[in-house]
Amino acid sequence: MSRNLISAIVALGLTATVAVAQDYPTKEIQGIIQWGAGGSTDTVMRAVTPGAEGVLGGSVVMQNMTGGVGAIALNYVADADADGYTVLMGAENPLLYKVMGLGDKDYSDFTPINLLARGTPILVAGPDAPFGTYPEMLAYIQEHPGEVKFGSTGPGGLPSVVTAMISSTTELDVIFVPYDGDGPALTALQGGAIDVMPAVLGASVEGIRAGTMKPLVVFDIEASAALPDVPTITSTNPEFEAFLPWGPFFGVFVKNGTPDDAVAKLSAAYAEAAQGQDFIDLMAGRGFTMMNISGDEAQAFLTKWQQNTAWLMDDAGLTKVSPADFGIARP
Amino acid sequence: MFDSLMYFLTVWTQPELLFLVGLGTLAGIYVGAIPGLSVTMAVSILISFTFSWDVYPAISLMIGTYMGGVYGGSRTAILLNIPGAPSAIATAMDGYPMAQKGEAGVAIGVTTVMSFVGGLIGILVLAVAAPLVSDFALGFQPRDYMLLAVLGILLVGSLSGGSLLKGIFAGAFGIAIGAVGMDPLTFTERFTFDTQLMRGGVSFIAVMIGMFGVSEALHQLHHIDTPAVKQKIGRIVPSWGVVRKYLPLSMQTSTIGVVIGALPGTGGDIAALMAYDHAKRVTKNPEVPFGEGAMEGLVAPETANNAAVGGAFIPMMTLGIPGDAVTAIMIGALFIHGLNPGPMLMIDKPDMFWFIVGALSLANCFMLIFGLTGIRVFTKIVEMPRAVLIPLILLLSIVGAYAVNNSITDIYWMLGFGVFGYFMKHYDYPLGPVILGVILSRLLDDNWRRAIISERESLPRFFEGIITSPLSLTLFVAVILIFVSQTPLWGSVKSRLARKAA
Repeated sequence: MSRNLISAIVALGLTATVAVAQDYPTKEIQGIIQWGAGGSTDTVMRAVTPGAEGVLGGSVVMQNMTGGVGAIALNYVADADADGYTVLMGAENPLLYKVMGLGDKDYSDFTPINLLARGTPILVAGPDAPFGTYPEMLAYIQEHPGEVKFGSTGPGGLPSVVTAMISSTTELDVIFVPYDGDGPALTALQGGAIDVMPAVLGASVEGIRAGTMKPLVVFDIEASAALPDVPTITSTNPEFEAFLPWGPFFGVFVKNGTPDDAVAKLSAAYAEAAQGQDFIDLMAGRGFTMMNISGDEAQAFLTKWQQNTAWLMDDAGLTKVSPADFGIARP
Repeated sequence: MFDSLMYFLTVWTQPELLFLVGLGTLAGIYVGAIPGLSVTMAVSILISFTFSWDVYPAISLMIGTYMGGVYGGSRTAILLNIPGAPSAIATAMDGYPMAQKGEAGVAIGVTTVMSFVGGLIGILVLAVAAPLVSDFALGFQPRDYMLLAVLGILLVGSLSGGSLLKGIFAGAFGIAIGAVGMDPLTFTERFTFDTQLMRGGVSFIAVMIGMFGVSEALHQLHHIDTPAVKQKIGRIVPSWGVVRKYLPLSMQTSTIGVVIGALPGTGGDIAALMAYDHAKRVTKNPEVPFGEGAMEGLVAPETANNAAVGGAFIPMMTLGIPGDAVTAIMIGALFIHGLNPGPMLMIDKPDMFWFIVGALSLANCFMLIFGLTGIRVFTKIVEMPRAVLIPLILLLSIVGAYAVNNSITDIYWMLGFGVFGYFMKHYDYPLGPVILGVILSRLLDDNWRRAIISERESLPRFFEGIITSPLSLTLFVAVILIFVSQTPLWGSVKSRLARKAA
């Protein structure tokens, strides 16, 4: 009896191993979302994944694992087996973990499945702000040093990178008021607690449309399709071209060493899902620029992003460890 | 006007939507009742689940779950002294003593009806005065949030029961727990002892489940041989007289609920605790003392946390700003379904606003129906032998703690705080203030720093800001008055005044 049982289990195990190699997926895939429910990473992943499930012919069970600026989720996936059944759904933050002293792992330990889209930074001000453009803002700050309140979200976040860009070109004597994320900070902007907020375009587009906040400038080379009338930073200050285009992004990753078959199937599934009209509309509505890249192209994007941003932060004195210590080359 | 009514009635007249709201409410009650299975989690799972649906059915299901879940937390709070959700912490304080006296049925009945009343008031304010309330809520500056948190800290006095000193210790302990981890404002590590484990902080839900669930189970071991309390099976649905008696109080506590719920950054948990404190302050001669099964102690938090649901929708519908964690997820859901929540939503899509108001009121009615049926079966839980009940509580606690972040570490935290909580209980340290401290820790700390940074780190400028803003000044005066009224000084002044008058 027990011998039969054992051989049955062994047989089952064998067939399972064979099955993994041939027709991935044979069981549920676990999707670990790096950020909390309701955030932009969460929304993007929950919107794109049902499409990928259809192509894969399997199910992806998503769960939010928050904490440590996403490091908890990253480490969880890094500690799981590299079998393609644990997938990391994350944003740009891990590329700065090493220089910010937040962890010793980043996306170099992972294989990108798909980099879905990137956001565009925008500078918004309260509706009653005494300036309406970027040059006017700089002039006002010059006249009122230490008076204007900028929202921030802690070192490594989008506002810190944008202000690092600004302060690398000009002196910026303002107060930085820290918030938990761009959502709470934009709320504070509308309530008058802060004056200016560097935010991701999608988070502010509805407020701009309703006139509860005023757009100053888009941090991109080309004007945004969602807000075509807002000037780009390079139209007044061409020196920013060196940093742009820059923006937070969303991507799906698996641990290095995952079987090629699984990587190929996942990549194909997410590439097709990202072409779904609903998803494209959703991303356009939130002001994101579609990327839908994978393989070497994605890898090159990640490398360039990390080099640019890490050194920008280092030059602004915001890093804990120099990027050079991790072999991140200066761009 | 006629259009609005039509949109409002959509959900009531279409059988499919009606069914989905009902299903959501029923499921929500159970999700809410199980500690650790949170409404936030349930609604975020529903986003993927309803992805391919139309927007109306998807929202119907989510709203039902939300309404039911907020109410469901009271069940286990009353029956087992384990709040199913943070917003039911205050409910346990008088609900459980009632269950121990065999009045669990009455307690649940009153809770259900008053939750309905609170929910109704919340929805009414949402429907009538949403833009007004959201303007008010938006006006809260960091210093106002800080003063609100200080006001909350003063609730320690209400929650301590016996010794105020022990209460203050417990509250301070809670604030310290809340500060553990990577500070989200500066990314500086606090109390982490350089360990990866502590960086994420201590899960608040794990602390709550441990302190209330496990410590209660351990405490019950003392009485393993005492027979369970026989529950009275009498009238469960409260009479109109009872409802009318608590109506004035519930109006006040519902108002607290709506406003606290509408503030982005505070939710039903703080609302319920503040309402409990308010009830204790205004009820001069309760029939039963607070903490021993006072009806007012049930009415206040339950009206407030259900009113907070309507409140939380106010900034969401008018500004696209979430009023709490669940509405944050619902904003994500609206995005996925092709809507753009923001200040323009009410103008572009008035149908959505009235549809949500309709769905909320329908969910509120279902909550009343499901809440009042099956109470007798529920009360049997308390009559179960302890040998069955205690392992069951422990099992639920472990599942709940794990489910929050899918983290084994949280289970260890939960068990650790459970054992610690048992000893605190044993030596008469109140547990309520610990949770209060954890809830308010971030609110107080973050907003104090924001406020003082905004004033260029100058205290005189900070106080100038308080004095020149009517809202801040009101809160500041309230803080002073409540503080003074809790010191012995107040008693002597009052008696002197009384003597003079006589």
